[in-house]
Amino acid sequence: MKQLEVIPHLNVIARAPFIVYYEGKAEAVTATNKVGTFDILPDHADFFSILSPGEVVIETADEPISFQISNGIITARNNEIMLFVNI
Amino acid sequence: MRRASAIEKEAKEINTIEDLTGIFESLASTQVAKVKNKVELSTDFFKLLWKRYSSIRIDPKTRITNRQLADADAKQAYIIISAEAGLSGEIDQRLIETMLQSYNPDTTDIIVLGSHGANQLSQRNVHYVRFFKVPESDHYIDVSPVIDAILPYSKTIVYFEEYVSLSVQNIRSIDLVSSMRDMSEGAEEDIMTAYNTIFEPSLDEIADQMEITMMKLALSQTILESSLAQAASRFNAMAVAKKRAGELIDDYMLEFHRAKRSESDRQMREVMISLKKKRQRLGAKR
Repeated sequence: MKQLEVIPHLNVIARAPFIVYYEGKAEAVTATNKVGTFDILPDHADFFSILSPGEVVIETADEPISFQISNGIITARNNEIMLFVNI
Repeated sequence: MRRASAIEKEAKEINTIEDLTGIFESLASTQVAKVKNKVELSTDFFKLLWKRYSSIRIDPKTRITNRQLADADAKQAYIIISAEAGLSGEIDQRLIETMLQSYNPDTTDIIVLGSHGANQLSQRNVHYVRFFKVPESDHYIDVSPVIDAILPYSKTIVYFEEYVSLSVQNIRSIDLVSSMRDMSEGAEEDIMTAYNTIFEPSLDEIADQMEITMMKLALSQTILESSLAQAASRFNAMAVAKKRAGELIDDYMLEFHRAKRSESDRQMREVMISLKKKRQRLGAKR
C-alpha cells in the first residue's frame, strides 16, 4: 500500500516585545537582510540573520500575513522559524 | 456656625473631587491590566530570544557576564526609574530614599529616568549625570540612548519599583547583566555553529547584536515593572483620596443639615420673639 507523503511545513513564531504577529504553521517566510530579499521554505538549512527594515511576509495555508519591521533577527532551525522584530 | 449655602457649595466641590479621583482610580486600574499584559509578552519574548542566543554560544552566560564594557577603574552607574509625572503616590520618594542609602558620589554616577525622580533628586541636592524621559509607547520601549549612556560604566545597578500586588509595591535593585541571566533560566538549547548554520552577517556580529538587544530588553522589563508598580501606587492613592472625599462629603452633609436646622430654628425664634413683643405691646395698650 502506498504511504501518504507527509508535506513538511514551517512552525513560525513572529513577535515584537509587546506584539505577537503570528504563531503557527506556514509554508514560507519572506524577509530582507543586508544581502537582499530571501525566502525560507520547509527543510531550509539552519540559518541566523539580522534583518533590514522592510516587509516580512508569512505564507500560511489561508492567506499571507505581512507586516513592516524597522529591525529584527530571524533564525531557522529544524523547520522552526523565529522572528524577533522591532527591538 | 457657617451658612448652609456656603457648606452646600463646598460639599459640591468635594463631590467633583470624589468624581475625579474615581475616574483616576479606574484609569489606573486599566493601566495596571494593560501593563501586566505587556510584562507577560515581553518576558516570553526575552525567553525565546535567549533560547536562540544560547544556541550560538558554548557558554553564553559566561560571555555575557564577563563582557568587558569598560575598564575596571570606571565608576558604576545607578539607573533610577521613576514616574514621568506626579500622581504616583509616595513610591518614587521611597525609591530615591532606598537608592541614597548605598549611594557614594565618588564611585557612582546617577542616571535618572522620569521627571518625577529628577525633581526628587534636585530637591535633595543630589547630582545626576544624565536625565531621560521614560521612553514608552504602545509598541516598544526605545532604551537605546540609555544603553549607550551606561556602556562606559563598569557596573550598572537599576533601581526600580516592583509590582507585587495591587496593594503592595516594593523597591528593588538589580545588576543589569545578572538580571539577564535570571530572566533566562531554563531556556538553553543545542549549539549552532558556523559548520552547520548559515550566519548573515558573521556569528560574532550577530552575537553582539543579540547581547545589546537583550540588555535593552532587560532594561525595558524594569521600566515596565516600574510602570506597573506606579499604576498600582496611583490606584491606591486615588482609592484613598476617593474614600477621604466620601468621608468629607458625609461630614459636610451633617454640617449642612445642622446649619439648615439652626437657620430654621433661628427664624422660628425670631418669629416667636416678634410675636411675643407684639403681644406685650397689645397688652400694654389695653
